[in-house]
Amino acid sequence: MAKAISPLQPIRRAGQFGAPGKPGVTIKEVTGFGLLQFSAWGASLAQTGAEAARLAGCSLAPAPGHVVSGSNGVLMRVEPLKWWLLTSAAAPRPEPELAAENGAVLDMQDARCWLRITGDKAETLLNHFLPLNLRPSVFADGAVATTAFHHVGVTLWRDADGLNLLFPRSSALSLWQLLSESAHQYGLVEE
Amino acid sequence: MSATRLNTGGRIDRSRPLRFTWDGRSYKGFAGDTLASALMANGERVLGRSFKYHRPRGIMSAGVEESGAIVTLGTGDRTEPNSKATMVELFDGLLASGQNAWPNVRNDVGAGLGLFGRFFSAGFYYKTFMGLPPFEWGRGTGIWMQYEKIIRKAAGMGEASRQADPDCYDHVHAFCDVLVVGSGPAGMSAALHAAQQGKDVILVEQDFDLGGDLLNRSDPKSNAIRAELIAALTAAGVRIMTRTTAFGLYDYGTAGLLERVTDHLAVKPDHAPRQRFWTVRAAATILATGALERTVAFENNDRPGVMTANATRSYLNRYGVLPGQNIVLNTNNDSAYDTAGELAQAGAKVTLVDLREAIDADLSEQMNAAGVTVQTGLAPLKALGGKAVTGVQLARLQGDTWVAVETLPCDLLLVSAGWSPVVNLLSHRGAKPIWDQDLSCFLPALCAENVTMAGAAAGHWSTEHCTASGIAAANLAMGQKVGAITPGGWNTPIKPLYEVRLPGKKTKSFVDPQHDVTASDIRLAHQEGFVSVEHLKRYTTLGMATDQGKMGNIIGLALMAEALGKDIPAVGTTRFRPPYTPVAIGALAGRNTGSHFKTLRRTPLHDWNLRQGATMTDAGLWHRPWYFARKGESITEAYIREATTVRDTLGICDVSSLGKIAVQGPDASEFLNRIYSNAFAKLAVGKARYGIMLRDDGMVMDDGTTWRLSENDFLLTTTTTAAGKVMVWLEELLQLRWPELRVHVSSVSDQWAGVSVAGPQTRKAIAACLEDPEAISAENLPFMGVMESRLKGGIRCLIARISFSGELAYEIYVPADLGEAMMDQLWAASEPLGGCLYGLEALGTLRIEKGHVTGAELDGRVTIDDAGLGKMASTKKPFIGSALRQRPELEREDRPQLVGIFPKDRSDSFNGGALLCKPDEISGFGEGWITAVTHSPALGHWIGLGYISGGHDAWQGKSVAATDPVRKGDVMVEIVSPHMFDPKGERMHG
Repeated sequence: MAKAISPLQPIRRAGQFGAPGKPGVTIKEVTGFGLLQFSAWGASLAQTGAEAARLAGCSLAPAPGHVVSGSNGVLMRVEPLKWWLLTSAAAPRPEPELAAENGAVLDMQDARCWLRITGDKAETLLNHFLPLNLRPSVFADGAVATTAFHHVGVTLWRDADGLNLLFPRSSALSLWQLLSESAHQYGLVEE
Repeated sequence: MSATRLNTGGRIDRSRPLRFTWDGRSYKGFAGDTLASALMANGERVLGRSFKYHRPRGIMSAGVEESGAIVTLGTGDRTEPNSKATMVELFDGLLASGQNAWPNVRNDVGAGLGLFGRFFSAGFYYKTFMGLPPFEWGRGTGIWMQYEKIIRKAAGMGEASRQADPDCYDHVHAFCDVLVVGSGPAGMSAALHAAQQGKDVILVEQDFDLGGDLLNRSDPKSNAIRAELIAALTAAGVRIMTRTTAFGLYDYGTAGLLERVTDHLAVKPDHAPRQRFWTVRAAATILATGALERTVAFENNDRPGVMTANATRSYLNRYGVLPGQNIVLNTNNDSAYDTAGELAQAGAKVTLVDLREAIDADLSEQMNAAGVTVQTGLAPLKALGGKAVTGVQLARLQGDTWVAVETLPCDLLLVSAGWSPVVNLLSHRGAKPIWDQDLSCFLPALCAENVTMAGAAAGHWSTEHCTASGIAAANLAMGQKVGAITPGGWNTPIKPLYEVRLPGKKTKSFVDPQHDVTASDIRLAHQEGFVSVEHLKRYTTLGMATDQGKMGNIIGLALMAEALGKDIPAVGTTRFRPPYTPVAIGALAGRNTGSHFKTLRRTPLHDWNLRQGATMTDAGLWHRPWYFARKGESITEAYIREATTVRDTLGICDVSSLGKIAVQGPDASEFLNRIYSNAFAKLAVGKARYGIMLRDDGMVMDDGTTWRLSENDFLLTTTTTAAGKVMVWLEELLQLRWPELRVHVSSVSDQWAGVSVAGPQTRKAIAACLEDPEAISAENLPFMGVMESRLKGGIRCLIARISFSGELAYEIYVPADLGEAMMDQLWAASEPLGGCLYGLEALGTLRIEKGHVTGAELDGRVTIDDAGLGKMASTKKPFIGSALRQRPELEREDRPQLVGIFPKDRSDSFNGGALLCKPDEISGFGEGWITAVTHSPALGHWIGLGYISGGHDAWQGKSVAATDPVRKGDVMVEIVSPHMFDPKGERMHG
């Protein structure tokens, strides 16, 4: 089996870095995940959403700006006509059955790098780059946003465990360096 | 000014002594001091030299308006000039020095310029030196530039370090319901009230401690109010930001804040930024920014020891320093009386001189009780002394004329000529302040946005009024109706005072001390016809120093109004612009410097390429291999070897950075047919086609191949640098022009790792890596064929037989995370065949030999015909750009057209960018230009591509000069077909 290498793999190392004491931020890279994009035509939104929800293992496809967790993965509405289905490395590979008349499915598994960011300073750290109100009262569990990080389009969502970021693969190392260097002031744990 | 540190009192921590250095000498201060208070406590009087006249200057205030104690902090790469000592929080090891002086501010050689001060009025330098010699003689400008160097050396402020800033800075975004600027009684009350109503509140304070003017009070009641408010704010969950200045207000409730994170720390934490630049978006903003005490223009009003009155309250009650022993306090309003009483109680001899004849009985009684001598109907005419004030000559107004009267000895001369609300931030929003005749100050106007002023910033002078106005502002910010609170708060009205001078006497009485603008300069501006306040400002530079007019603007306006015979409101006021106080350039840049200036995009093969010895180069945001030099090879030797190897055996080139766009949907082929100039409607599944995309105006936008992967799935490739532009263009077309098409476009540039494998041995090398070696036989995968296959190890891949080099070539794409696994296999199969890795330089050589265009040729000015690709423009269908490409101008036969270029003397070379001219007409833009050059290993000499009027046919057999006056001069060249190598394409079809 060929060895898959994530863009951050060569530089990431486990441990605590930067300010000593209680770490303010913990960042973990999630690897081996699957990412499928479901695109609907305007008139076939319901059919495409239903197929995406079926594969995610949830009852309904989320509305724009929202994420739902299903038994098979996380389904997020990243654009009015598009969902992204994230599945873990351990989950079975989804087998979409979507007629071209209803929509299109696209494998984007290797196009993104996934970071999970937690800790007391996670929001503040992300606000170094993201012009979004990330306070839990506004950007709550189940919210997703397509936004810009140092002029690069990224996807951000919050789940029960914290905040998650999807970076485009080619920019991931550059953005990681910015993020981690900024995180050092709060005390950074890399898992 | 003989200041002394008191044994008790103040908010300094006497248990925490600090050492600091001023102009090379070591001093002691305490935690809680500012640099100004510590220097004052140590008896230092001359802390600066003025901008133009090098006059000695001391501490003039206790805040951001400081115009005398302007110093340089730090050394080397951490030098920070033009810092106001009044705003610098003292820390152990702080280094500070005087500026604009030699050898030091106490004894400045430049002070001799003051002897000629009468000549240095506004506009002096320009009027004098720009006219010597007369401009008509023709050398004026050049000589002025020499004068300018000398003038700039003689005058000015501090000098910034020329070294790179070693500190890092952060940008941060924040959001809130209510942003409160200023933590005086009004600001704290407003923040607390809003928070208690459930609002998310940010309270910003530029000082290192909360309280505003409450910090300058010593009475138990004020201390209790402050303590209670701070405790309540914390309990209410208000986000409090001290050492943070709101320097600008922008559209839609956006505020710019500068947080000083480590400036005050003796030991800077390794990982903390020096400062943070905050962008706060607030639903409502309350400005409780206080007011600045005004001074008066009178002779020598800049002498060390002349200070605003309320500043001494700060030094006394906050820093435990009694600034003088024999004090004369001049005022025209009630606010200075408390100060006078407190200074007297602290042990000073105080004489209060009030311009007003009648004062409130309570105040008189209060002064009597405190031992303050009160004189009325007088104003300061002249400060006596040189490097320290020794007395003040007073004047009395008789009719409209000032008459000199008695002289009082003093070591500290205080002035309180009224208060100017800090309306700067509101002014940023375009709200013009309104002159209030009764209070003699500009008050804030109503703002169309949700920005409310409170406290002294709204003209409320008492603590009780400030607190009430803060609560009212909070209610207003939350959309509730509130009753009006009348500004003011003095028992006896202020008597306006802006200048005191004897008739006809010219003196150095300063309006804007930072820029050495005098009252005479204002009158000179008027005499020279400057009637607009904006012109006055620019002619005299009034208000253009680092304090941006905080100290002198109102006096300047008043003097201009007097000269014009108008009222102050009729003269108007200049508009304040951000920043309120200076912001370091580093804070504006944040972390976007050095390697973070722009995001670097790396291909999935980046590290693999580096391990193979690649030298990288920029290609847009990407890093791509430039060449793979062997030991001892130069770049030229390397790329010639690489290109030769590709022609002889094979080479592998990382092409992952090419733009890749998934085009999906039942109408995808129709969509492609509309955006490309050539036909795509009938492109078969498993086939690729080269396409040219035009802009609406008929010019070429980009080119690339598009692969049909299935009935409804296409992979469209773009050039590396145009990927983003093309993606945006396609989205725009789908969303705005053809929303009826059932097509989605998605960037998959990051999904795939891609290589081009080119050369006669290519098929053999790739076959060795495939699970099915026969998959890429000529029969199974003909030229422009596309297929999905698997490399060994089960790596799914896409293979297209397409060629940019002109050789038998394939592009292979695998999922990005498996890119290195692909390279390991391909390289293992290619190296034994004598293959090589090649970079952009060799890629350029190969494509120039073939006459294939890239961004250098498709530069936005080129039509499809210019590029020699006119046959690809369909005449059977409309497509983007098909109408406007037929404009007469774009169909002219003499338009520059793509050609190949050989040197006449084959041993010669020429440069990219050179102009192509007729040999006897080497001038102007010539007949064309060279876009790309290389040494061609296939042809054995230098070749190039370029454009020339009329193209190859027009210049066949004629001599042309490639002229490059900047670099190399003229080289004679001949114009040939752009297809310089294997013009029939036999090699790539082989």
